[in-house]
Amino acid sequence: MANREIVYSTCKSCHGGCGVKVTKEDGIVVHIEGNPNSLTRGTMCAKGLSSIQHIDNPYRLKYPMKQVGKKGQGNWKRISWDEALDTIADKMKAAIADPGPHAIAISQGTGRGYNRYTHRLARSIGTANVITPGYVCHSPRLGLYGLVTGYGRLYCDYHGWGGVFPKTQIMWAKQLEISSADSEMAYWFINSLDYCKNLIIIDPRASAYATRATLWIQPRPGTDCALALGMMNVIIEEELWDKEFVENWTYGFDELRERVKEWTPQKVADTCWIPKEQVIEAARMWAIDTPGCIQVGSSLERQANCGHTLRAITCLMGLVGNIERPGSMISWVLPDTGLIEDFFLEIPLTDEMRSKIIGADKFKMGAARTCNPDTMVKKILAGDAPIKVWFSVGGQQIVHMANTKEVVAAIEKVEFMAHCDQFMGPMAEAADIVLPAAHWLEIDDVYDMHPRFMIEAHNKVVDPPGEAKSDAWIFNEIGRRVAPQYWWDTLEECLDYQVRRGMGGTMKWKDFSERLVSGCWGPDQVYYKYKTDYWREGGGFPTPTGKFEFWSKHLESLGYDPLPAFREPGESPYSTPELFKEYPLVLTSGYRQPFYFLGQYRNIPWLRSFMEFPTAQIHPETAAQYGLEDGDIVWIESPRGRIRQKIRLFPGIKKGVVMATANCFYPEEPPQGYHGLFISNPNVLTNNNHLDPMYGSPDLTCLLCKVYKAKPEELTEHVFHTEDYGFVPQETSGMQDT
Amino acid sequence: MTRWGMVINLAKCMRCHACVAACRIEHFLPLRVTWPRLIAVETDEGYKVDVSTYPVRCNQCKEAPCVDVCPTEASYKREDGIVAIDSNKCFGCRYCVIACPYQNRTYVSRKRDPGYFPGFSKTGFEKKGEKLYPHQRGTTEKCNFCMERIDAGLAKGLKPGIDREATPACVNTCQARALTFGDLDDPNSNVSRLIREKSGFVLHPEYGTDPSVFYIDYKLGGNDNKAPIEAQTGSHIQHLSSVYEPVKEKLAKRYE
Repeated sequence: MANREIVYSTCKSCHGGCGVKVTKEDGIVVHIEGNPNSLTRGTMCAKGLSSIQHIDNPYRLKYPMKQVGKKGQGNWKRISWDEALDTIADKMKAAIADPGPHAIAISQGTGRGYNRYTHRLARSIGTANVITPGYVCHSPRLGLYGLVTGYGRLYCDYHGWGGVFPKTQIMWAKQLEISSADSEMAYWFINSLDYCKNLIIIDPRASAYATRATLWIQPRPGTDCALALGMMNVIIEEELWDKEFVENWTYGFDELRERVKEWTPQKVADTCWIPKEQVIEAARMWAIDTPGCIQVGSSLERQANCGHTLRAITCLMGLVGNIERPGSMISWVLPDTGLIEDFFLEIPLTDEMRSKIIGADKFKMGAARTCNPDTMVKKILAGDAPIKVWFSVGGQQIVHMANTKEVVAAIEKVEFMAHCDQFMGPMAEAADIVLPAAHWLEIDDVYDMHPRFMIEAHNKVVDPPGEAKSDAWIFNEIGRRVAPQYWWDTLEECLDYQVRRGMGGTMKWKDFSERLVSGCWGPDQVYYKYKTDYWREGGGFPTPTGKFEFWSKHLESLGYDPLPAFREPGESPYSTPELFKEYPLVLTSGYRQPFYFLGQYRNIPWLRSFMEFPTAQIHPETAAQYGLEDGDIVWIESPRGRIRQKIRLFPGIKKGVVMATANCFYPEEPPQGYHGLFISNPNVLTNNNHLDPMYGSPDLTCLLCKVYKAKPEELTEHVFHTEDYGFVPQETSGMQDT
Repeated sequence: MTRWGMVINLAKCMRCHACVAACRIEHFLPLRVTWPRLIAVETDEGYKVDVSTYPVRCNQCKEAPCVDVCPTEASYKREDGIVAIDSNKCFGCRYCVIACPYQNRTYVSRKRDPGYFPGFSKTGFEKKGEKLYPHQRGTTEKCNFCMERIDAGLAKGLKPGIDREATPACVNTCQARALTFGDLDDPNSNVSRLIREKSGFVLHPEYGTDPSVFYIDYKLGGNDNKAPIEAQTGSHIQHLSSVYEPVKEKLAKRYE
């Protein structure tokens, strides 16, 4: 009789949070489905379900290895964990001794629950040169929400806990339905559409719900700030703002009113390439049909005006009072375990650490706690960045950062790099030592993606392959070796410490693991916190003025424009008209597919089968202008270089815009050339010279390009000469075989 | 009588492919054998762009051409409306593959299955699948509405379409809740109501096949935003925590 066992856990195939029910038979996972008793009610996406092919994947890294020979040649030799960890620790200790801890860079990927470990490790060894993709994903949003409201974690209230759902919803450059990237919100967003009066989608490309939305606006990529300013103009001109909220709880309304005066619907229409009626219509819906919420996408944070764009959008929320009322933007009350982020916040950044942050002098918002990665690349290339040791976990900086050519050159120049990952990939190939990481089905850990209203447990279902270990274990082992006073003897003690405040201070990891979740929802959530002592005695927002700040006191003191302002992208038809003549199309690299997560999953056959080759979308009329046909492999070229993707004619994209798939490399391509890093990755085209003044974010989603068909003789790489695209082997069934 | 049917909501489907992945897990589908599929429909009529995704799977037709052409009676209709295949009777002539006007049948090659990772031995999941849900090579397959789940569920007194254990895997996993399963013969069932209230339609009614898979489509928005009581309590999930004590006090006093 087969031995069956069910384990409940939490998915982390994207940022995660969905409850999972896993069935094992004789120790082998035979079934995965959603946990019906979780917040996501038993639903799960293709990424999470395909975890079966992730844990079983023969390409997984199984042992620590060191690179023998030149980087990027794929010559690896197995070593022991002790040798790997001791080598990394010794390199770190040597750097701490000379020239100092700031010479150690700690980098991470999108932050899949290990954010708090990355930062704790960095702070415990005395460096703040942490490299995260935060500056192009989520950090600007949190920072700007924080500036305006004093509290950074503003989320859309999709649950109906306060008695109503959002009446007007804006999806701004976001596909929450497929990404769930701020945790398990896709389910609740889609559910809330049954209670929504106006669904406004702002996206140059038709996302899944665009053509069925109440209003779909297709702005030119990079002009979203102008649209937000224009909507505020209409709201103020038509006297539609929330008088009570603005009068009692905001600061700087008159100045804002003056600022948006010039942004008439006509001016917005000319800037954004949209009909002016849409600006007026959107503004009226937003102001009249309250409550409402705006879900912001990270495409807006991949633009060099992201600071002001997000400020403008936040002001738009406050202008109509869509803050802290049921069905609007809300900051959640934490569960009884408190803020898990305290795990790193409790080790403060010293002035010494801050003074050594690369880019801190320039990007005062983005490089206050972490370094500016683009500045670091430039400095390493110029020979004046002191980075001697780079410890990288999970992320593919080499793929996602702007101007791939320079990024590769800089990474190759770093004296010593260790990378921790589940598969061999471009970043691992550039490392000296690679450490095998465990999948979420193979670990015990606390899930706390963003401090919201709950934390969950990742419960170990199966053993990792070979000697792979959980990220938490790896961080703890390195921490123990370099800064033992901040780390633990065992992983379990470390987990106990993290949940220590639960249930009045008696909770241990084991209790929590069984309980699976600690949350605060339904009637536990409290709205209108600014009318209580929650943030401030006597009520108010935790800002310098105690008000919701249209005029930001903090930005003013840092020397930035205290009011939101529009700025053209670094390369655009208006900012660089000469360049536009040669590169006559607007390029955005914002195209994401629901079955990939950033650079991940192209080596999972179930997922790769859904889209085998990176695809760029173009409007049929634009394609006809350039003689392109559906399915052609094309060159997409910018002043930095050129890439090849498959072109798809798609009527749902704005004319004159090319939407390329982001973050693509080919795991099946050889290590030489970093697994096809230069074949299709749009960051070969992007520019790292024009950065957002506050956050240092580059223009990844708004630049210029030209597109032309690739000649057959130019398609020399393996990926162009195989029917089976590496991870989805050739068709074996068919009518022809008997 | 019971006639199992499915209603697919085109307004909500977001092309995420979770239904396909769930089916591959549920039935341990071999490489390139796909029961449900998604068809992208993207049109531009000059004044109106439409971007849609049609999830398709065996329509379990009442007048099933595949059953009619089967020379060995391997394809047959169950009393509950499900078109099933007895793989022991199927000899792989593939008449049904051609006869299905919706192209929803797939032939499992007689050639050796290379597995999902050619060049490596089969994974633990693949090996388990060979025992738990064997696929007979050289026969035809298609979606069977997870009839094993339905039969096992009914035997336990569960209701397909209502109780998860008795409901098709794709329906359970859909984050958009775009798939609804139930009894078409019961006028008060969830599926019958949806078809009536949202003007359900079938694909290519002109074929005269009388499918059991219906589609609904509508514009999003236009709804009242009041939350039902169930939504307000949050009682659908285990309630494990109360508000963090230090925070409770601060929230107690209110200022207007």
